[in-house]
Amino acid sequence: MPSFDGGHYFFTALLPINNHGIAEHGHFKSSPVHMVRDALEALPTALQTRASETIGIQSPFARSLRTHFVRLFVIDAAYYNGRDTADSILSAIEKTDLLKAQPVDRMNSPYLVFVADFDPAPDGAPEPRSWLEELWTLSPRELSSVFEYCYGFDGKADAAAFASFVMKGEIDTTMPFNDYWTVPPPLPTMPLWPLALPPLAGLLIGAGVGWGTQSIWLGAIIALALAAAGIVYDYTTVMKVGATPFPTAPNSTLRDVLKALYLQQAFARFAAAQQRSNPAQLRAAFAKFVAETQPGDVTGPTQPPGVVRSSFAPEAL
Amino acid sequence: MRSLDLADIQGGLLRAYGRLGFPKARYFFLTVRDGQKGRRFVEAIRPRVTTASRWEDPRRGELLLRTHHPKVTDAIRATGVSDYPGEVQLLKPKVAINIAFSFLGLHALDVPVRTLRGMPDEFIDGMEKRAEMLGDTPWFDRRDTIWRDASAPGKQVHIMVSMNAEMDPDTGAPTPELDVETAWLQRLCTESEGGVELLSGNGPQNLPYQEMSAVLRDDNGQKAPSNKEHFQLSDGFGDPVFSGQYGPTAEKTKQVGGGKLLPDGKTWAPLATGEFLLGYPDEAQEIPDAGMPIEFSRNGTFMAYRKLHENVASFQTYMAEQGRLYAAASGLDAADAQATVSAKMVGRWDDGVPLMAAPDVGKWRAFQAKLKAAQIAKDKKTLAAIAAEYVDFTFRPDQTGATCPMTSHLRRVNTRDTLDPHFTSPDPKSWQGSALNNRRRILRRGLPYGAVDPAHPTDDGEHGIVFLAVCSSLFRQFEFLQQQWVQYGLDFNVGSDTCPIVGNHGPEAKYVIPVDPDGAETPFVCGGVPQFVEPRGGEYFFVPSMTALRLIGMGIVDPT
Repeated sequence: MPSFDGGHYFFTALLPINNHGIAEHGHFKSSPVHMVRDALEALPTALQTRASETIGIQSPFARSLRTHFVRLFVIDAAYYNGRDTADSILSAIEKTDLLKAQPVDRMNSPYLVFVADFDPAPDGAPEPRSWLEELWTLSPRELSSVFEYCYGFDGKADAAAFASFVMKGEIDTTMPFNDYWTVPPPLPTMPLWPLALPPLAGLLIGAGVGWGTQSIWLGAIIALALAAAGIVYDYTTVMKVGATPFPTAPNSTLRDVLKALYLQQAFARFAAAQQRSNPAQLRAAFAKFVAETQPGDVTGPTQPPGVVRSSFAPEAL
Repeated sequence: MRSLDLADIQGGLLRAYGRLGFPKARYFFLTVRDGQKGRRFVEAIRPRVTTASRWEDPRRGELLLRTHHPKVTDAIRATGVSDYPGEVQLLKPKVAINIAFSFLGLHALDVPVRTLRGMPDEFIDGMEKRAEMLGDTPWFDRRDTIWRDASAPGKQVHIMVSMNAEMDPDTGAPTPELDVETAWLQRLCTESEGGVELLSGNGPQNLPYQEMSAVLRDDNGQKAPSNKEHFQLSDGFGDPVFSGQYGPTAEKTKQVGGGKLLPDGKTWAPLATGEFLLGYPDEAQEIPDAGMPIEFSRNGTFMAYRKLHENVASFQTYMAEQGRLYAAASGLDAADAQATVSAKMVGRWDDGVPLMAAPDVGKWRAFQAKLKAAQIAKDKKTLAAIAAEYVDFTFRPDQTGATCPMTSHLRRVNTRDTLDPHFTSPDPKSWQGSALNNRRRILRRGLPYGAVDPAHPTDDGEHGIVFLAVCSSLFRQFEFLQQQWVQYGLDFNVGSDTCPIVGNHGPEAKYVIPVDPDGAETPFVCGGVPQFVEPRGGEYFFVPSMTALRLIGMGIVDPT
C-alpha cells in the first residue's frame, strides 16, 4: 500500500466536479467549478505565517490533531502544449498534413484534487476512512461548501457517507514526502549473495542432470529454465522488500511534532532566562522547567495545531 | 470537445446581443483612481454580470417569420433542436450587463505585473498606439473627447461597462430598466468615494455613455429593429462559428458557411474554440497568448471597441452618381445600376442577399420573390433553405471575381477559400480549403449609434456603428484583417486599393468592378471614392471570465 509510508497516510483523491449549468450561491449565479474555487479561496489557511496569524480565522483542518497537511486545488483541463514536435524532413517524407489537427487530450470534467498527510488512527481503525470521518465530524459545513458540486456528494451525508464518497476518488500516492527523519532511516538491506544463490543453484542442478544423463541438451534446458525461475524468484523478493513501507520516524505524529515545537520554544526562553544562573539556580530552574513543560507528555502542555508559535504567559519561565 | 462552461463566460460573446433581442445599448467608460476602491466597485458589479448561460425568452416571435429575412438559427429551432448549448435555468434579463478592462485598467486594479506581462503587446499598447497601422491617424483630432483625452492623467479609460437592453416596440425607446441600471452604475461610482469615475466625452455632447440603437423599421405601427446600418445595408450575416458555440446538432447546420472550409472544398467544420476564447487550442493547435495563471485567461477573450462614423450623404450621393454612370455602361436602369454598384462593393445586395447566391439584378429579384412567396405561404421548409443561402457559399466558382469582386467588402474580410494557394488548380487533391482564412476571423458585435433621416442624409452629425471585434488575438485576427485586408489590397492583386466601404480612401481612391476576362464586357472603374467611414476612437479590452473577474475584484490573481 504505497499511500501508507513512514508511519503516515499520504492521501490523494481526484473528485470529478459536476460542472453543468449554473450554481447559485448567495446572490451569485455562476458555474459550479467557479463556486468550488470561490469556496476554496474563502477557506482560511492555517495561522502559520506572520502574515496570516493576525487574521485570526483558523483553518478548519487545524481542528484535527492528526492532520499534518491538506491541500485542495482544481484541475480544469489537461494543459495542452501544442502539437507534438516533429522533424520537418521526416514530416515531409511522411506527408504529414499540417492542416489536420492532432488529437487533444481532454478530461470529461474538471477535478477537485484532495491531498493530505495524516497520522493513522491510534486504535488501528482502517484508514483513510477513520480520518475522513473525523474530518467530517469536525468541519461538515466547510467541507460541504467545497465538495458539494462533486459527482456523488450527498449534501445530507453523515461522516460515513462522506468518507465513502471521497474514497471512491482515491488513487495511490506513489511519491509520498517523508520529512520527519532527522537521521538516515534503518532501511532494509539485501546482501547480493542470497540473491545469486537461486539462479546459481538452478545452473548447477542443470549441469548435474546433464552430466548424469550424458545429454548436453537436456542439461542446458533444465539449467536455463531453473536459472530463469531463480531470477523470477529474486525479482519477486526484491519487489516485495521494496514495497515494505518506509519505517516510521520516531516521534513523528502530529502530537509529537507539536510537543517538540513547544519544547524548542520553551527551552529557548529557558536558556535565555538562565544565562547567568549558578549551578544551583540552574538545577532548580530546570526542575521547574521540566515540571511545567512535561517533556514526556504529548497531550500537554503543547502547541495547538495550525499556529506559527506557542503562546507563553509573559511571566512564565 | 467538452461543452463550454457557459456560466463562466460573459454574455454577448457566443451570440451577439443585437440578435438576441437587445436592440438598444449603453456603453460606459470608467477610470480607476484607487486600486482598492476600484476592486470594490468591480465586486459590486460582479453579481450582476450577464453570462453566456442559456435562458428562455418568453417574448420571442414566431420562428422564421419574426425577422425580415429568415435566419439559420431559426431554421434550426424550427426542427425542434436548440440552437444554443446548455440547459435553460434563467429567464432572459431586460438588460444585459457586462464588463471589460483595458490594459491600464488591469494595472490600476493592481493585477500583478507577472500576469500583466504575459498579455499580448497590442493589448498593452492600446488602440491609440496602434493607430498608424490601423489607419486611424488621419481622423485623430475628430475622435470623441473621451478618446482624445484618454492619454491625459486621470482620464485613462480603464473599465468598460456595457448594458444591452430590450426595446419598447411602441416607442422604440429602450426598456425603462436601462435608466434604472444607469442610475445604479452612477451610484456605484459615487459610492466609490472618488475611487472610480464615470468618464464623459462620448459624442459631440460629451455624454457620460455611448448610446446605441439598431436602425429601426416600422412594423405595422410598431418599431422593430432591423439588421441595417445607416448606409441602409443589411449586416451581420457572416459571423464565424466555433466549436462549442452551438449545441452539437445545431453546430452541424451553423458550421456550413460559418465555420472553416475543409480541403475537399465542400465540407465545413467549426473553427477551433481557441480562435475566440482564451485557454483553448486555436487553429494552429496553440493556446493563445494571455496572462497567467491559466484560470485568469481561460474563457476570457479580447475585444476591440471602435466607434465608426458613417458619412451617409457621401455614400448615398456617390452610389447614385456611380449608378448613373454604370447605367450608361451596362444598359441597366438607374435604380438597378445603383443597386448593382453597391452590391459589387459590398458583396451583398442591400437586403443581405449575397452576390454568390444572386449574381445579377434579375436573380436578386427572383430571390426576393421566392422569399416573399415563402413568407406569405409560411412555408418554413423553403424559408429554412433560403436562410442557408445567405451564408452557404464558397468563392471557387468565381475565380475571377466577376460575380463577387475579390476586393468587395465581404470577400476581403472573410476570404473563405479565395486565398487557397491552389485556388485555381483543377486538382481537388491540392486544395486547402479556407486554411489561410481560419486564423483571421473575428466575432463582430456592436450596434449602430445615432440616427439618420433617410430622406435627408448628412455626413455631419452623430451616427455610425459601434464596431466590436472579439477574438483571442487582436494582433493576428483583428489587426491583420484591418491592416492587410481592409487598408491594403496586395493579397487580392489590387496593390494599394483599400476596402471600398470601410477602408481609407485617399484622393484618387478607385474601385474596379471586374468582369469575366473571356467575356465581351469591360470592367467598370468607380473613381474618386470618397471617405465613407471615419474612426471616432476606441480601445482594446480584455473581457474576463467570471472566474477572472472574481480574481480581479478580490485582488487575488496569483500568477505563481
